[in-house]
Amino acid sequence: MALANKKRTGGERLTVILFLSPWLIGLAAFTLYPVVSSLWFSLTQYNVIKAPKFLGLGNYVALVHDKTYLTSLWNSLFMVVFGVTITTAVTILVSIILNNRKIKGLSVFRVIFFIPTLVPVVIVAILWVWILQPQSGLINSVLGIFGITGPGWIASPAWAKPSFILIMLWGAGGSIIIYLAGLQDIPEALYESAVLEGANFAQKTVYITLPMLTPVILYNVITAIIGVLQWFAEPFIITSGGPDNATLFYGLYLYQNAFQFFKMGYASAMAWVMIVIVLALIFTLFRLTKKYGNSE
Amino acid sequence: MARTETNDKTTRLDAIGARGRLADRLEQVVLYAILVVLALCYVVPFLWLLSNSLKTPSELFTHPVKWLPATPQWVNFRNTFTTFPFMLYLKNTMIVVVVNIIGSVISNTLVAYGFSRLEWKNRDRVFVVVIITMILPFQVVMIPLFILFQKLHWIGTFLPLTVTCFFGNAFFIFLFRQFFMGIPMELSQAAKIDGASEFTIYSRIILPLATPVIATVVIFAFIRTWSDFIGPLIFLSNDKLYTLALGAQQIMTAYDPKWELLMALGVAMTVPVLVLFFLVQKYFIQGIAMSGIKG
Amino acid sequence: MKKIAFVLMGATLFALGAASLSAEDAVLNYWCSWGGDSMKWDQWRVGEFTKATGIKVNNQYVEPDGGIQNGKLLAAIAGGNPPDCVVTNAYSQAYSFAAQDSLLAWDPYLADIGLDAGKMMPGFKGMMQYKGKTYLMPQDSNVLFLYYNVKMFKEAGLDPNKPPKTLEELDKVAEKLTKIKGDKVERYGFIPWVDNGGDPFTWSWMFGADLYDAKTNKLDLTSDKMVNTFTWQNAYARKYNPEKIKSFVSGFGGMFTPDHPFMTGKVAMTITGNWFTNAMRIYAPKVEYMVAPIPVPAGGRANSTPLMSNVFIIPAGAKHPELAAKFFKFIISPEINANNFDVWKSIPVTDKMFDSVSWTKKGDPTYKVERILANSAGSGHPAMTKVSAELGERLNSLRDAVIYNDKDPKPLLEDLQKRLQAELDKE
Repeated sequence: MALANKKRTGGERLTVILFLSPWLIGLAAFTLYPVVSSLWFSLTQYNVIKAPKFLGLGNYVALVHDKTYLTSLWNSLFMVVFGVTITTAVTILVSIILNNRKIKGLSVFRVIFFIPTLVPVVIVAILWVWILQPQSGLINSVLGIFGITGPGWIASPAWAKPSFILIMLWGAGGSIIIYLAGLQDIPEALYESAVLEGANFAQKTVYITLPMLTPVILYNVITAIIGVLQWFAEPFIITSGGPDNATLFYGLYLYQNAFQFFKMGYASAMAWVMIVIVLALIFTLFRLTKKYGNSE
Repeated sequence: MARTETNDKTTRLDAIGARGRLADRLEQVVLYAILVVLALCYVVPFLWLLSNSLKTPSELFTHPVKWLPATPQWVNFRNTFTTFPFMLYLKNTMIVVVVNIIGSVISNTLVAYGFSRLEWKNRDRVFVVVIITMILPFQVVMIPLFILFQKLHWIGTFLPLTVTCFFGNAFFIFLFRQFFMGIPMELSQAAKIDGASEFTIYSRIILPLATPVIATVVIFAFIRTWSDFIGPLIFLSNDKLYTLALGAQQIMTAYDPKWELLMALGVAMTVPVLVLFFLVQKYFIQGIAMSGIKG
Repeated sequence: MKKIAFVLMGATLFALGAASLSAEDAVLNYWCSWGGDSMKWDQWRVGEFTKATGIKVNNQYVEPDGGIQNGKLLAAIAGGNPPDCVVTNAYSQAYSFAAQDSLLAWDPYLADIGLDAGKMMPGFKGMMQYKGKTYLMPQDSNVLFLYYNVKMFKEAGLDPNKPPKTLEELDKVAEKLTKIKGDKVERYGFIPWVDNGGDPFTWSWMFGADLYDAKTNKLDLTSDKMVNTFTWQNAYARKYNPEKIKSFVSGFGGMFTPDHPFMTGKVAMTITGNWFTNAMRIYAPKVEYMVAPIPVPAGGRANSTPLMSNVFIIPAGAKHPELAAKFFKFIISPEINANNFDVWKSIPVTDKMFDSVSWTKKGDPTYKVERILANSAGSGHPAMTKVSAELGERLNSLRDAVIYNDKDPKPLLEDLQKRLQAELDKE
């Protein structure tokens, strides 16, 4: 070890740079340059055909007054608060149940939950249009068997967002796999001594499982939040943002402004606000988990 | 003192054992039931897709819902392959996918090697930058990338969809790095004593050992590219180059979508991914576990 | 390992390069906006063009309307490799393209094409030009009318030969034809926002509102006529519950499925275009229906229609605009367009051309109505503005807000007008 540290020759430095070169070039060309340009565009009025016109903070000011923008923001935040929470709760529950060694058919279940994530988004969209159809869709037909009249789902402004929460849940199999891997790491001994103390399932979960899983939970939640804010394909294909803008999510409205309304500058401003929001949410989450994680 | 404690423990365990066995079993049944119900909810949409793909157009629209087709219309699949340029779009999708996989494996293993098997000042601090780029939403870079590709005259070709994979991806770098860090440095040192260059160590020692995580990345890259929709939507303009995902959406937005064919197309697009997954399932699970995402 | 990688990369790049080669020697790149059977017709006429002129055409179908609404055309223009011409039914968005300097003008080729703008029906003038130059060349057009179910009329004691002419009559007939038993809906007489009634500019046009004045570059979204379109629709919403309506009439999309509410008898009347006659022919041949001009309130545009034209445009940066002109000249001839009219009952752009259409020769009653509508001075193209794309989206959202959430349209319209006027004033 000490040997390697002493040799700081130019040859070694070159090796490092060579190995890192794909990433360095990519960082410069496909990350830094676009990020900086996007910041520049957000300060302009730009319709792609003509040269950009400098506006200062005009776009940002306009965003604050743009009711449709605020709606899209609200929609996405709604999905973050409710969608991510519900999804996290369900996936953790499923993972914990699956992790119990006494459960038969673990690998079958694992596959079943994971497969929906493999389905191409376009197909997911098409499939769910059919499932959520108020009159003859799958869900309402099943409910009909029990004599319940199902809601309007994607036809109803009130039920449109919950519809997308369902879609989100269906595609959450990836988190289950990751939770399963994380659960494997928790020592069985911890559970054994808890059982001795008379702990039941709920207590075991809250006092042992969750604290030990915190880093994994954090990772999945952050990934989910970023995904929700960017969510584009399904809303674009299924509802185009309706009805009454109920499913006009942030990523969709951004796309509309950029590619349908000729307002690239405005869309770039939206993108930058998105970064700020993501950073703020992540920061808050880290703070929260530090507090919770320390209370072991 | 100790004796009493052990006795207490055993007694308690016995007590728990007796009472607990019934409660335990009940708990098991309830949990299992929840699992089965949820699993059904996840599986039924597929069966629905499959069932719909085998119906005639009129069967698709009946009220109340017809669960199974009267006779399976396998002809739907044949029609999908003939009326829809399935083969062409499949070829296009495969080109993009394969190039992506190659690029992802090559570039990310190289970079991860640099961040894990080579020692240099501030290495781990710079790696934090990699992590930060994972957070970047696509929408932020989408427009400038589009304009950049426009200036390069790459819009309308496969290039925007494939070239970026050769330049590193934060998530994959992370996965590979975690794995590489688990390989003992002694192996590298032994090789160096024998006169091997870093690159030789990389290609002859590290890569072969990394099969599970490479398999994981291959699957992730495959899935991501196979379903990618917004990329082809923005960057492709010539319909001879469309991928399956884009082609499917195209049928759907026609004024006259043939839904039974779309369903069949849906099945046709999902099956290859399923097959691939079943083949490499083992590696995939192993890869995730070893990657230490949980860490 | 390295070698294989390089070879693979090389092969891929070669394949990519080959695939992305745009044809160099005089091939016309043409995007059309119809799939299915219309695409077959389009391919046929392209074939005829090549036979007649020897010019090869590379035509492709770009959904949903030539790539306008989903940004593909914009992407192509921005990327510097647009098609030479595009035919689209999104004429008002196409107009926005012209206003944003994204199109080339047809003027250098007009003489050669020989289409005399003066001979066109009144509704077409003013649509083709922006700031004195011609950008949109109409190939044909379509009209909207009120379709109504004859059997249901007769059942309710109404005379199918006397369809409603005024808005008030329409409302009365709609009520008569609505069948609701307790909580269960059997059918609605009429829903204003279904089918083309749901287009952003239909009702404002029919009610007589003018949304935009090209001379002053001013939007007017807050006139009484405009507000009335929303309050009138809201009356239906309050009466029948819009969510229930949507659940009841929603199908899986489009009119070319046997699921369309007019075909299945879920609505007795609806507003849609002449192309729907083809759908009825294919999917619901047994349903007896008739058509009439859209009823209007006092001060509205009676016996008229918004014209839904299919227009040809040349994107900025097109490599062979002269070929585009040749193609247009070819396809505008009655022989080529004949099949188009036969299948879709669309209308030509001059009154004279009507004479050669088979439907006129057969004395088809629907087509007679179309001819009247086409020639009416009140027929035209609504909302030709630079911001039409956004305006259309916003107006539809506004309507949804009104009918689903009972919001007051006037302040919403004022707010929208302020916003979009600011956009217009920016230039």
